[in-house]
Amino acid sequence: MKDNEILDGWEIIDLSLYLRDESVLIVSDLQLGYEEMMNRQGVFVPRFNYAEIKKRFEGIFGELSRKDVREIDRIIINGDFKHEFGKILEQEWAEITDTISYLQKNCRKLVLVKGNHDKALEPIAKWKGVEFVDYVLLENGKTLIVHGDSIAFKEQLKKAENIVIGHEHPAVTIREGVKAETFKCFLKGRWKGKTLIVLPSMNSMSIGNDVTKNELLSPFLKKGVEEFEAWAIEDKPYYFGKVRGLG
Amino acid sequence: MRNSYVETKLLFVVDTMQSNIQFQKDAHTDAEIFQRMNPLLSGWFKGKFGRFTEPQRYAVLNIHNRINTLISAETGTGKTLAAFTSVLNELISLSEGGQLEDKVYCIYVSPLRALNNDIEKNLKEPLSEIGEIAAKKGKKIGIRIGVRTGDTTTAERSKMLRSPPHILITTPESLAILLNAPKFRENMRGVEWVVIDEIHSLAENKRGVHLSLTLERLQRISPGLCRIGLSATVAPLEDVASFLVGMENEKETRHCRIVDVSFLKKMDLKVISPLPSFIDITQKQIQDALYTQIDQLIQNHKTTLIFTNTRSATERVVHHLKDKFPKNYSEVNIGAHHSSLSREHRLRIENRLKKGELKAVVCSTSLELGIDIGYIDLVVLLGSPKSVARAIQRMGRSGHQLHEKVLGRIIVLDRDDLVECAVLLKSALEKKIDRIQIPKNCLDVMAQHIYGVAIEEVMHSDDVYKLIKRSYCYAGLKRTDFDDVVDYLAGKYVSLETRHVYAKIWIDEETKRIGKRGKMARITYMTNIGTIPDEAKIKVKLGEYVIGTIDEGFLQRLKKGDVFVLGGQSYRFKYTRGMTASVEAAHKQPPTVPSWFSEMLPLSFDLAVEIGKFRLLMDEKLAAGRTRKEILGFLDTYLHVEENAAEAIYEYFLEQYSYAELPHAKKILIEQFYDDMGKNTVVFHSLFGRRTNDALSVAYAFAVSRLMHKDVELGMNDNGFVLGSYSKMPIETAIKAVKSEELDKVLAMAIDGTEILSRRFRHCATRSLMILRSYKGRTKSAGRQQMSSRLLLSAVKRISNNFPILKEARREVLEDAMDIRHAIQVVKAMEIGEIKVQKIQTELPSPFAFSIAFEGRLDLMKGEEKLEFLKRMHLKIKEKIMQKEAKVEA
Repeated sequence: MKDNEILDGWEIIDLSLYLRDESVLIVSDLQLGYEEMMNRQGVFVPRFNYAEIKKRFEGIFGELSRKDVREIDRIIINGDFKHEFGKILEQEWAEITDTISYLQKNCRKLVLVKGNHDKALEPIAKWKGVEFVDYVLLENGKTLIVHGDSIAFKEQLKKAENIVIGHEHPAVTIREGVKAETFKCFLKGRWKGKTLIVLPSMNSMSIGNDVTKNELLSPFLKKGVEEFEAWAIEDKPYYFGKVRGLG
Repeated sequence: MRNSYVETKLLFVVDTMQSNIQFQKDAHTDAEIFQRMNPLLSGWFKGKFGRFTEPQRYAVLNIHNRINTLISAETGTGKTLAAFTSVLNELISLSEGGQLEDKVYCIYVSPLRALNNDIEKNLKEPLSEIGEIAAKKGKKIGIRIGVRTGDTTTAERSKMLRSPPHILITTPESLAILLNAPKFRENMRGVEWVVIDEIHSLAENKRGVHLSLTLERLQRISPGLCRIGLSATVAPLEDVASFLVGMENEKETRHCRIVDVSFLKKMDLKVISPLPSFIDITQKQIQDALYTQIDQLIQNHKTTLIFTNTRSATERVVHHLKDKFPKNYSEVNIGAHHSSLSREHRLRIENRLKKGELKAVVCSTSLELGIDIGYIDLVVLLGSPKSVARAIQRMGRSGHQLHEKVLGRIIVLDRDDLVECAVLLKSALEKKIDRIQIPKNCLDVMAQHIYGVAIEEVMHSDDVYKLIKRSYCYAGLKRTDFDDVVDYLAGKYVSLETRHVYAKIWIDEETKRIGKRGKMARITYMTNIGTIPDEAKIKVKLGEYVIGTIDEGFLQRLKKGDVFVLGGQSYRFKYTRGMTASVEAAHKQPPTVPSWFSEMLPLSFDLAVEIGKFRLLMDEKLAAGRTRKEILGFLDTYLHVEENAAEAIYEYFLEQYSYAELPHAKKILIEQFYDDMGKNTVVFHSLFGRRTNDALSVAYAFAVSRLMHKDVELGMNDNGFVLGSYSKMPIETAIKAVKSEELDKVLAMAIDGTEILSRRFRHCATRSLMILRSYKGRTKSAGRQQMSSRLLLSAVKRISNNFPILKEARREVLEDAMDIRHAIQVVKAMEIGEIKVQKIQTELPSPFAFSIAFEGRLDLMKGEEKLEFLKRMHLKIKEKIMQKEAKVEA
């Protein structure tokens, strides 16, 4: 097993997944506007998620260009591009349009997949000329990219061989004796005879949901997460085998 | 009237600011005092009491003359009336002359609402009696008394606003709120007296720091304020007095007289052990003997109050007494009292105690303070109370009247406890009181008050700075720290575009004036005032049933499948969901993780040093070849312990002396051995109390782990600390590397990223209003605060490592949770050879090492970088996978 390939030709680059043949880059759960939501609840977290995410993208684009990728065909944001439900907050507005422009500059086409936090994103997407969809079924018909907060689009799920979801914000804790450290991670496992891949969250403010001990959120992961394989992400991906072996 | 720690005191810089603090040397005669009193009051007083008590003779006339006064005396010595006599005297005269204004004359502040109700009763009663006397003479006395706490209803509040109480009874938090209440504040211009009750319990924490600034803000609008403090036996009184009165100017405190009339009651105190020896005895035998003894003590007295130190032990003791002696104990005559129980339950117990219906009450620490609990003739302490002052305070709950004897018994359960309690009682009888430490320069509390001041008025920043420095807790405040906090409040740590969200105040760069920002400022401030943190407890659920709570830090240790003990039962951990942990029953399975007790009281440094001195004396006697008889004789005269206890102490020291060496006040023993897992274990016999050992252990573990680039396990208790690793540890190099003058820097690095820092940061962030508990009508749970604080901490670190609130969290860990000041002293003493360091190797841990090595809380100092760890674990797992694949192929 290669540390940086989750499937043949599917490469982990930092917190993103790059599908080489299709030239598709997938990321998930940026949660822009997270701090503003916290502010409104009376927690005065300074704002840095947006800046950190931009830095991360610069790193990813840098690595792709070192791999001689001239142009990314599509960048797919697999849901929860922004944080808050409902109304778009002031900070989000600036950050979203800015991020969209930045990503558009770096690919042929930007696609936003609807997440459970994105209900009000449509007008911005329209205004910026970005495709805003419930899911993406890649041209070969085998790969379905969907947020994963609910099991919808049964037809498409049935057809697909590979499913890529976000929503879960997976992280793993690596332990040795009393020592424990937690890392964001990619997960790969089986769901109804298909390959299921779970992307980590790009939100730099929180590490995510520790799948070795916390209850899981996505209905795709209600059972059997122990049998999933995990890639911990730090300076690069590290393959750690099955979640079961980490507990 | 008491001894001071002469030797240890030499190590401190004498506080030159305290030249205005003087002890009241002479008492006044009853005649002198009566002569100055209004006839109505003196008539009542003579009829009721006949004469004055000691504290009153020393204090009443001083207060009459508006001299700030600190009264230190036991409960039941007329302390409260000593404070109020002059106040009542003046108010009665004013009322008689029809000159009583509609304003607050006197404010009484106590840390407990329960105490407030007692005081209200204790003031209303004399006033109505005096009123009757006056009525007979055709006079009318109309002095109003009002209680204002969080419980006060809106109707009562508006009534108070219309006709303000002449004597206002309140808590520190409610007083702070009143100061910022625009209308009521007007009633507090020209307050003449403020009485702070139980001041000893406020002076050593941030509640007191908060109050000290409130008092300065009160004094600004009431310049003639006379301050009166009431304290239990505590040391150093000069510091508590300074805390009470604050600073006259940059160099000196305001004037204050200390009335020290502690140790008035006769004391009958003993250490008793349920069994003659602790060797070769099962846990069950100890337990049986213990409960038989407790039962006998209770049965031989009228009402017994038992202190257990922890809440869980409180429940256990009540349960076992009912279980073992069903004829003697039932719901009717025994009860538990601790802070986790509902207020109604506690009140019910207190009332039944007062009525004399209960034979015994078992409490953790909750009945320490002076609320009226009626007649108690015996106080039993289960295990060491860990400080002389606390022991005296607890045992002083017996014999509530002045002429009665204090009757106290400490029951010890192991040999370390025995030695500790024997030395403790010796100190108590010799009137050596361990010293409290007053927190200094707390930036979070200051931030809250600066905001309060800004809401009240626009003020020059120099004047705000001067105002704060008038509190004794901020006398040494650096201007840069003040400016940093102002910058934080003004939102200067974030970019200009978003500043409007973060800024709570504005500061004009030219005029240097400070004012509030935002329409919501006052309501935000009023609903978030205070310093007591909400604790984030994790609920443990078995199905839908809540079985108890655990610390968040403990949860972080747990992994799926771990077995731990809670309330005497074993449970297997399944998963967490927000602030709950799901478990399943794990019958009779041994725990895979040791439980730890965060509620343990730390041994005071001064008492620890006294125990070290006792060890030194024993070492000298054993080294000089003194006989068993001679040493037992010495123990009898020196420690005043019973024969059984003396024998047990002798055996314990002889074992340690013969097997290894005796560590003592002038020698730290470093003992190295391998445990049965082959782990290299190094025990430091450093008897300085857990707060000092916390600092020492973290500093040395940090040095060792850095030198090795590997993690080191550490544990500690009051008697020492332990480091553990599977590799050889460079202990000697680490000892040389940790220098006393750099200890603060070493510790600041060592605690970075620890659980305690993140927890304390949450408290500080809440106090400084970075996290609002209550905002726009919604209240956040401690759990939500905790989740927010993690994000906040990582954000704040990106802004600056010296962000004032982060700096305060570090100070709180090092100075309040740990005891860095004494740790520096210890390291310095090691450097100049005043304390010798001796290294030995043993096959098995020596008797003194046992509790340190096996009972201490275990922790980990990370010497390995996160990435290094990941890489190493990755290699490990890769090998495992490759082996498996090879097997499959074969």
